[in-house]
Amino acid sequence: MIKEDSLKQSSVAVKDRAIQPLIEINDLSFSYVEGDPVLAGVDVTIEPGTIVGVVGPSGCGKSTLLSILAGLVQPTRGSVVWAPEDDATRHPISMMFQGDTLLPWLTVKQNVGLHYKLADRRLRPPATAQRERVETLIRLAGLNGAEDRFPYQLSGGMRRRTSFLSAVTPGPRTLLLDEPFSALDEPTRISIHQDVHDVIKQERITTLLITHDLAEAISLSDKVLVMTARPASVFKTFDIPFGEKRKMLELREDPEFLRLYGEIWEQLATQIQRAEAKKKK
Amino acid sequence: MTTTLETPAGAAQLAPMPARTRVRKPLSRRLTVLIGQLVVLVVGLSAWQFLPMIPALQSLSHVFDSYFVSSPIKVATTVFNLATGSDNVVLIWPYMGQTVFASLVGTLIGLTLGALAGLVLSNFAFLSDVMRPFIVAANATPRVALIPVVVIIFGLSITTSIAIAVLVVFFVAFFNAYEGGTSIPPQIVQNARLLGASNVRILFRVRLQYALAWTITGLPLAVTFAIISVVTGEILTGYQGTGYLLSTASTTGNASLTFGVVFYLAVIGLVIVMGAEVVRRRVLHWWAK
Repeated sequence: MIKEDSLKQSSVAVKDRAIQPLIEINDLSFSYVEGDPVLAGVDVTIEPGTIVGVVGPSGCGKSTLLSILAGLVQPTRGSVVWAPEDDATRHPISMMFQGDTLLPWLTVKQNVGLHYKLADRRLRPPATAQRERVETLIRLAGLNGAEDRFPYQLSGGMRRRTSFLSAVTPGPRTLLLDEPFSALDEPTRISIHQDVHDVIKQERITTLLITHDLAEAISLSDKVLVMTARPASVFKTFDIPFGEKRKMLELREDPEFLRLYGEIWEQLATQIQRAEAKKKK
Repeated sequence: MTTTLETPAGAAQLAPMPARTRVRKPLSRRLTVLIGQLVVLVVGLSAWQFLPMIPALQSLSHVFDSYFVSSPIKVATTVFNLATGSDNVVLIWPYMGQTVFASLVGTLIGLTLGALAGLVLSNFAFLSDVMRPFIVAANATPRVALIPVVVIIFGLSITTSIAIAVLVVFFVAFFNAYEGGTSIPPQIVQNARLLGASNVRILFRVRLQYALAWTITGLPLAVTFAIISVVTGEILTGYQGTGYLLSTASTTGNASLTFGVVFYLAVIGLVIVMGAEVVRRRVLHWWAK
């Protein structure tokens, strides 16, 4: 489970919750029992309600970072500090995996509402509220009309939409996205980006996105982190100024988008080169 | 609103259901295949009917002696007589009923027990590690060799036939269910856990369905095994069922009766396997291999 260490609260932080970070990752390190370190001192501060994109060379340890946040892996050193939550019943964390997680014998509607079937009875809302929540989300993600279809009757994009909604249904405080759209073609991906971004913003979910696709990171995020070659730490941080009303299709031809892409790519490229050089050694 | 390049709600997309569409080969091709199959049938039956009439071949081997191999016409007559009870031939139905009943009941019990055992072991790694060598050993033992033991325990009764079928089907179901329970992609279990599921709930809401799917996938195979083992048991004990008929036919040297009974067994097998296949398709429409 997720450790919810209580944050050392100064009186200032309590008064002004808006600036209090939701997640503070301090000096986070990880190495396998035998082998080189994967993460070496990752420091990240994540503000509530923001989307943070993480890019870096292949195999740099991005996914390990997510696994630690999800509580699937224990760090060797360092800490993840979560801001205390007023509402103890709130769902702490959801994750959208790179691989398929839909249950093939359930319809889209049932998969989206999977949380209600799995969670403790005391934490489940009444049946009507469950139904409304699922219907609303399905409409938001443009899946209406496909509610009663089974996963094998869906396109790749629709499957990913369903997986995304399934993670959003419990109303998580934090959402982890692990290269969620890497298997999709470009037009499908851009269309999904729009809906995913809008739903996350509407639901005010703090999100960490791991991706290979720099354009995806910039499109979706409020902040992009470039990781170093393995062992990973944060190399550079970029603020993304497009706000909550961004339009994905227009973004791609926005000169500011293109400028940022170039600027971040330049930094990313240095780390990719370093990773390549290490591999050759 | 949002820009939808991919139209998920488009009516045109909703119409086709991938699993239902099957590409049919052109009619001419299907006809030639059918003709080819008829040719094989006619040639085979003719050889069976007419080769034993050649005296030179008869002296060569029993295979060409119609006393030992009967003939299609005689077998067909026996098949008819078995169904109607005419010409002093016994009626096959009561015997067939016993075999089918024992096979189906045995399959049902074996499948349930095997699936349960496989499911439980797939969910608890410790238990599975403890039990593994015993299961491997039990599976490697030819179950037919255990038939005498079963007979001693249950005596000459329908229970014996059922127990033999259970013995065989249990392992088929067990291995399938175990495989199903353990072959779940790890991210599905992790995802379920993050969505708030306890271990017990993962067992009932996730693992159970996978184990069931794999068990039902093995249904046609399990039924086939059940019939084989039940008939084998009947032949060995000579107690009842089609196996009893077979053993009587061979001890009295009645080749036509043997082939007639075998014909009915083939039909039973075919019908039951096809039935199992229909059940599998219905229940597992979502199961893409």
